[in-house]
Amino acid sequence: MGGGMSGPSFNIDNGYLEGLIRGFKNGILTRNDYLNLVQCETLEDLKVHLQSTDYGSFLANEPGPLSVSVIDDKLRNKLVLEFQHIRNQSVEPLSTFLDYITYSYMIDNIVLLITGTLHQRSISELAAKCHPLGIFEQMEAIGAVSTPAELYNTIIVDTPLAPFFLDCIFVQDLDEMNIEIIRNTLYKNYLEEFHNFCQQIGGITADVMCEILAFEADRRAIIITINSFGTELTKDDRSKLYPCCGKLHPEGLSALARSDDYDQVRAVADYYAEYKVLFEGAGNNPGDKTLEDKLFEHEVKLNVFSFLQQFHFGVFYSFIKLKEQEIRNIIWISECVAQRHRTKIDNYIPIF
Amino acid sequence: MQLCVVRLLLLHVLGTVDQFLIFFTRSARDTGMANNRNCGISFRSEKMSRIQLFLQHDAAYACIAEFGEIGLIEFSDLNLSVNEFQRKYINEVRRCDEMERKLRYVEKEAQKCIPEEIRDMGEDPETPMPSEMFDLELQFERLDDELREANSNKETLSKNKLELMELLQILRETQGFFADAEIALNPAPQGSEEGHTDPGVDALSPKFGFITGVISRERLASFERMLWRACRGNVFLRQAAIDLPLVDPVSGEVVDKCVFVIFFQGEQLRTKVKKICEGYKATMYPCPDSQSERKDMAAGVLTRIEDIQTVLSQTEEHQRRILSGAARNIRVWFAKVRKIKAVYHVLNLCNIQKAIVAEGWCPSNDIDLVHGAARRGTERSGTDIPAIINTMETTKTPPTYHKTNKFTYAFQAIVDAYFGHGLIMFLFALWMILNEKRFNAEKGASEIWLTIYGGRYIILLMGLFSIYTGFLYNDAFSKSVNIFGSSWSLENTFTDMNVTANTILTTPTIQLNPIYTYTPNSPYPLGVDPVWNLSKNKISFMNSYKMKLSVILGVAQMMFGVFLSLANHSYFNNKINILAEFIPQVIFLTSIMGYLCVMIVIKWIKFDASVSAVAPSLLITLIDMFLLKAHPHDLYAGQWYVEKILLVVAVLCIPWMLLLKPLVIRAQHRRSRLVRGISLRSVPIPLRF
Repeated sequence: MGGGMSGPSFNIDNGYLEGLIRGFKNGILTRNDYLNLVQCETLEDLKVHLQSTDYGSFLANEPGPLSVSVIDDKLRNKLVLEFQHIRNQSVEPLSTFLDYITYSYMIDNIVLLITGTLHQRSISELAAKCHPLGIFEQMEAIGAVSTPAELYNTIIVDTPLAPFFLDCIFVQDLDEMNIEIIRNTLYKNYLEEFHNFCQQIGGITADVMCEILAFEADRRAIIITINSFGTELTKDDRSKLYPCCGKLHPEGLSALARSDDYDQVRAVADYYAEYKVLFEGAGNNPGDKTLEDKLFEHEVKLNVFSFLQQFHFGVFYSFIKLKEQEIRNIIWISECVAQRHRTKIDNYIPIF
Repeated sequence: MQLCVVRLLLLHVLGTVDQFLIFFTRSARDTGMANNRNCGISFRSEKMSRIQLFLQHDAAYACIAEFGEIGLIEFSDLNLSVNEFQRKYINEVRRCDEMERKLRYVEKEAQKCIPEEIRDMGEDPETPMPSEMFDLELQFERLDDELREANSNKETLSKNKLELMELLQILRETQGFFADAEIALNPAPQGSEEGHTDPGVDALSPKFGFITGVISRERLASFERMLWRACRGNVFLRQAAIDLPLVDPVSGEVVDKCVFVIFFQGEQLRTKVKKICEGYKATMYPCPDSQSERKDMAAGVLTRIEDIQTVLSQTEEHQRRILSGAARNIRVWFAKVRKIKAVYHVLNLCNIQKAIVAEGWCPSNDIDLVHGAARRGTERSGTDIPAIINTMETTKTPPTYHKTNKFTYAFQAIVDAYFGHGLIMFLFALWMILNEKRFNAEKGASEIWLTIYGGRYIILLMGLFSIYTGFLYNDAFSKSVNIFGSSWSLENTFTDMNVTANTILTTPTIQLNPIYTYTPNSPYPLGVDPVWNLSKNKISFMNSYKMKLSVILGVAQMMFGVFLSLANHSYFNNKINILAEFIPQVIFLTSIMGYLCVMIVIKWIKFDASVSAVAPSLLITLIDMFLLKAHPHDLYAGQWYVEKILLVVAVLCIPWMLLLKPLVIRAQHRRSRLVRGISLRSVPIPLRF
């Protein structure tokens, strides 16, 4: 497939959609837009400014006063509409590629529902909080299951997540620790599968996507390690959660598996030029950027780079990720505006 | 074959018409003739003036409203550095947005309930004054509240009704399921029909529990599978489709649903089944065990449905009353609110000091109208200080503005809507034009229709020209018509070519020699002689004829375009463009395509039937001209020399066209840089006082 995917033959099936996505990408807010947004006094001001961007009249039918959650919903709806339009127009292998993007949202939704039911929340309340890209039919019946095996046999078996779940079937019961293990195992398997799929597609898609997915894998490995300090998770169990499609694999991962504190993680990252910079720029003092933000910034950078090449699927993935980041940014700014807590309003991550 | 001919003809006809069209379009768009206000088609943009307006605070709103009504000023933004949401009148804009939102809601509801009552008479209300805005706001607020209340009542009632209907369906449909279950459990015959009631069900109830409910039909398959998986096949599900159309109370859409009964054993399964039902958004309804209870319940439900229906129709009547009052005015309200909003948007562009200062462009010829509008605005606001309007000198590039009327509008926004044949097209366009008033009032039509409608005059012309060319080519729906009688006669052929009537009857084809069969003094009066339609070489004859015409028309049109550019160059006094573009273009075009046209005419004149055998092929001639070959038959004496000269001239034109202008511009640029470089160093900076 690799050779045939480039140039004009790419355009036969995907040219229109690539054009469309690049058009959507041009609507992503710029630095200038953010500079204007942070000057807003109220959410109404924010609405006025967003009206002059690609978001247009997306809030026009909302009765005032606006709330952050309404903005969040509408922002998300717009993204979902755009995604679904593209998904409906796509053909193989792009359609499978786009489906892979939705799997990560399905994983999040499953975890959200299980955790929610564990805390005795009602399913309908939880379902409203699920990401619309990851909704599937069997999802809300999750209240009827009580063990991972049951979860697999009744719900997941009918979804595309089934192959990712096989490793979790032996987990005993659904407590918080195990849910986290399930989430990370699902994610690990998903990332590796996705990475594999992109390599099968080959060509520029593989070049671009493997780079992005490798970073995603490494980021998860680093975050899992840092978050596991001080919990009951054994080093052995922890190392099973690391996705093996990143640049840290295999030496970095085995070093991470042995580390006991933040400094050791940092020492591992020092061996990798691109991660070393991220750790150096991060700090916990006021005014410093957190490691998480630094990682997000790096992700944004990779996703922006993917638009520099043509004739590949990476742009679709990158668009979704950039848009997600933009939504996080707008919501961050809206929260700061709504709570009149402006000191940290500049902690958004500009995209262009 | 026939199809192919038709297509070819259509292409030719349309091609020719298209040339006329482009001819007009070009002239309306990018040409350089002096502006003539009396001319229907203006050839270049109106002359624009930059104006500055000083408006009193009290009068500004009314003045701008009047400017909006005449629509002749393009305001410039004088507050580029100020954020949209920090401008002075943003609150008013927001209030308008809010009003629009309410109106949209009302319109949506009216569209749902009484679409026929939304009227659009094409009314154009005057811009309301700010004081009127409060009244409008109040009015819309009240309307919105009333409507929302009525709607929520209606929604609750319909929801109740839906639930009762579903329950009723359950009670009816499950009858059969329970009966089946009884028979399966108690195969012993139950005696007569009346006796067949409780004992069976009683026997069943302690052992089996059941849940009844309603689920949307599309989720049923997955629901059933999930039940089977979750309960490991230990439940039994019966279902039946509800044929009655059920309306979803929120969206108002018809949804297909199914009634189901699930039989199971034990409490654990009950909780599990219940959870799955909830997960699949199935509505569960209690259903009594015994048949008599079910019957009673069904009767009760039926009366309750009737009650609710009464209340519901009253609520709907109330809602309709509210809406029909609003529907009559909704377009006018929209127009009013949008006008207010537009005025405040313009005010936001102005520089607000002691007076309100606005800048913009307006057509120089219409400045009087602007003055008039300002005067009206001042009067309307009741102040006595008039607005001041200055014309400014500026080097900024003015916007392009074409005055259009109904006719030229379509050329401005030209659409190439090729379809149909001449007459149909003509009639269709005529129908649109005759019904213009009605269509203009109809807003919100589909985009495709608007495209066609916008091009109605073009379509009319296309139709007309197609009919005309149809006559010329003697071709109506690809059939020729013999109106005047052919000028070809076989009688002379008999005498001069030794053929008899018998030969004609026996030979399938016969070649007519125009020397004998054609009566030269009485040609067919209009267009092509119909006899050609019978001939075998019809297509090759017609094609060559049409192609030649098309070439001549096309070259003429290209030439026209080039001369229009001359008008533009001389308007801007652009000598270099004339010398380096226009002149070589004309020479190039004449020496090749123009020469071809000359040859076509020569060939038409010089060769008749008697010498047609030696008539040269023009296509080959032209190719030979480029290949520097000698022609077997010369069209005229000295052809070889003429062609070589033309070819050399044409080839020389190419570098002339492509190289001269950039070289001159580069030279100018270098010279100017040199001059500026010197002046910067030599001229002392003047002192400021």
